[in-house]
Amino acid sequence: MTVALYMYTKQPKMIDIIKNQSNYLLVDVNLNEANMGNAAIFKSEIISMLDLHHKKIILSLHQVNYIDSTFLGALVAALKHAISLKADIALVGLKKDIHDLLTLIRLDKVFKIYDSFNDATKED
Amino acid sequence: MITTEVPKKILLVDDNPLFLKMLSKAFSKAGFECTVAESANEAIRKLAADLPDAILSDYQMPKMNGIEFRKYVLKQPTLKDIPFIFLTDFSDKELVNTGLDLHAIDYVIKDTPVNVIVAKLNNLLATVSKQRELSELEVKKAAAALNIRSVPHKAPDIKGYEVNFWHKSFQDIPGGDFIDFIQVTDRFSFIILGDVMGKKWMAWFLSFSFLSYIRAAVRYGVLSHEYSVASILEKVNQIICEDEALKDILSSLSLLMVDHEKGHVTYAGAGDLPLLYYQAKTKKFESLRCSGLLLGMFTNVEYDEQQINMQPGDQLFIFTDGIIDYAVAGDTKSDYNLFAKKLETITDSRNSFDKLKQFLVKQPPASQVDDGSIIHVYKTA
Repeated sequence: MTVALYMYTKQPKMIDIIKNQSNYLLVDVNLNEANMGNAAIFKSEIISMLDLHHKKIILSLHQVNYIDSTFLGALVAALKHAISLKADIALVGLKKDIHDLLTLIRLDKVFKIYDSFNDATKED
Repeated sequence: MITTEVPKKILLVDDNPLFLKMLSKAFSKAGFECTVAESANEAIRKLAADLPDAILSDYQMPKMNGIEFRKYVLKQPTLKDIPFIFLTDFSDKELVNTGLDLHAIDYVIKDTPVNVIVAKLNNLLATVSKQRELSELEVKKAAAALNIRSVPHKAPDIKGYEVNFWHKSFQDIPGGDFIDFIQVTDRFSFIILGDVMGKKWMAWFLSFSFLSYIRAAVRYGVLSHEYSVASILEKVNQIICEDEALKDILSSLSLLMVDHEKGHVTYAGAGDLPLLYYQAKTKKFESLRCSGLLLGMFTNVEYDEQQINMQPGDQLFIFTDGIIDYAVAGDTKSDYNLFAKKLETITDSRNSFDKLKQFLVKQPPASQVDDGSIIHVYKTA
């Protein structure tokens, strides 16, 4: 029973590691709406990932159509945690609305934002 | 107050696709928004993406059964309080006892007519909702008794200007938006609009911490003859970053200082949406942007400020993200430019606040996804 539970509790795939390289992780965010309902889980999963791997996370947000302020707060908290570990979080695949919002509230100065995964990994 | 009528969401979990289809059809017909999962595993994935108002789960499922699924749900802080009901094929005393230990609210035997299952769920959610309302009422009463407000009763009289504001809460629960007007001397008045990132009660409670620091920084700034909104923001940000209780809590802020003697307004912003400035002379809007980051993000951040020389008929619109968010066909969007375009159609050189308010009030409640606030400043003379 314990083994079975462990297997299944590892299943919630709000975020998926698509690629694990020596200096970065490419992580897919499987959400249509990134909001208050999923922000806390997202934050704890990303922080666990940072604690485990200690390297840059490239978050692919191509499936995300909306981000609310609670989720943005979780994203920034994760970035602050990354910085404290001398790691980083970069964003790729942003929909236009989301990119515009991040620019309007100056989060584009805080997160490295790239058009594509290739651009995000060029300097690594 | 606007009360939103959002359909209740239910997650239906059963490994029998036919039964699931029948249940889903009945619940949808009764006005529920249904999400279905043919296994506990699939249900867990769906719960990671969206939270329902209730979970109705089969007990007997291959691999992970209903009890194991319930145990998983209870371990998740964001899921554990969602009302959970078991569907069973039989009345099993042992299962009932195990389930009660796992805080399942009820059991439904699968043979029960589907309309009875729907009615049972409706009654359950009505009870949960009533309980929640009563708890919220208690908090609201306590807040009223303490006379704490994150939004003032009325707009202030500021010489040479007409100032108005509009605020809407989300699902009738206070949120992270806060508004304040402070007249510190005969010469200076301050206008404050902020938004603590988050929703509902938690954000509302935290907004008071931010407001207290901002009020104190404004007063100290004036006492020390430091009339710079950028400098006030720097101090507020520094204090917030050093306050352990506000760790990882962020807020936007638009801070404006009206100088009655010189007749101008100075603005500084922290991660706020650009202000929209209507100039009566050109009949055009301009977007006013500051470069400052959200409060609480990093220490020692520099903020900039800009002076606005408002002329009679000129108008400033200062607003939070709840004003530009909307839901359409089940999807949520943020669109600053769309709101800016709407403002262009309703603004002229007369005070346009009433028209703006009419537009905002007419927005369908179901399209609201967050609390929203807007302050309107109209230069009279």
